[in-house]
Amino acid sequence: MGKVIVVTSGKGGVGKTTSTANLGTALALLGKSVVVVDADVGLRNLDIVMGLESRIVYTSMDVIEKQCELAKALVRDRRVDGLMLLAASQKNNKDDIQPEQMKAICDKLRTTHDFVLVDSPAGIERGFSNASAGADEAIVVTTPDVSAIRDADRIIGLLQNAQIEPINLVLNRFSAQLVGNGSMMDQADVLDILNIDLIGVVPEDSGVITSTNRGIPLVYEDASPGAQAYMRIARRLTGQRIPIPDLEDKGLFSNIVKWFTRNR
Amino acid sequence: MNISIKQLFGRKPKSSSIAKQRLKLVITQDRFDVDDRVMTRLHHELAEVLAKYFEFSANSIKMDLKQEGNSYILVADFPYTKFHNTNMGQ
Repeated sequence: MGKVIVVTSGKGGVGKTTSTANLGTALALLGKSVVVVDADVGLRNLDIVMGLESRIVYTSMDVIEKQCELAKALVRDRRVDGLMLLAASQKNNKDDIQPEQMKAICDKLRTTHDFVLVDSPAGIERGFSNASAGADEAIVVTTPDVSAIRDADRIIGLLQNAQIEPINLVLNRFSAQLVGNGSMMDQADVLDILNIDLIGVVPEDSGVITSTNRGIPLVYEDASPGAQAYMRIARRLTGQRIPIPDLEDKGLFSNIVKWFTRNR
Repeated sequence: MNISIKQLFGRKPKSSSIAKQRLKLVITQDRFDVDDRVMTRLHHELAEVLAKYFEFSANSIKMDLKQEGNSYILVADFPYTKFHNTNMGQ
């Protein structure tokens, strides 16, 4: 029986879809069977981020309306074994799907796959309730800025009310340099505010932009720091214990400043 | 020795620590702020229960949320005019 994990954030633009695409691909590269589900009905993007946009024939809406079998609606990613995408309908909106219908789809997918990753739309409304309806666990993606963290806290409250556990945090677009000069909160600050478990820190990586341009998830490029961060998170999701490396490589001068200011 | 080198040189506090402080405040508010509709319902339900024991005018009940440090306190004042002694021992 596979796990259903909702990938969510509250705020838009923090990297939910990028994280879903990369973690789904990474888990498949580790030999797991994975379905990534786009729950952003009306504003689908997981297909284009993964480079599968030209191969979508059916969507979750067709499955719900019994226009096609669930297995037939899954698009196989040919670059790696065991990775499938279930696209969202682009011509419907979030209210056309009921949470129970999404739950039924997730429950069916988990019988045939190790991981079902559901890419949630931004917001706390129906799209979020649909995306989280069938989830056992959650990954909350945030960037280290005030609006993303505040919205993440709202989402964490809603996930806790829905008894979704564990809720793991991905800290995205982290810049060791900005932390070093005091213009960005570090991971300890963010965890102190949000008070949930950290599953990984993804550094700011321009490779994300080029990989999205091409429709090839970053994790295929082994050397990129972002790819390595996502691979580590995927390993942690499979139960491996891998310590979170300290990304605060700030150079000698910053370390001296830190030494003088650490008692503040 | 709580004065750092930076403070001695009159530098501004780091924006990351300002962000953290502001977030902590606003998130505490977000977490504890009770929906107005919930407050109104609670007001009615409290009045209903209190009316079994006391005589008072329903709109004299005042409810308020007060913040003390990291926690919130619900304060309800209700000036009553009479206690229904007849309810004792039932």
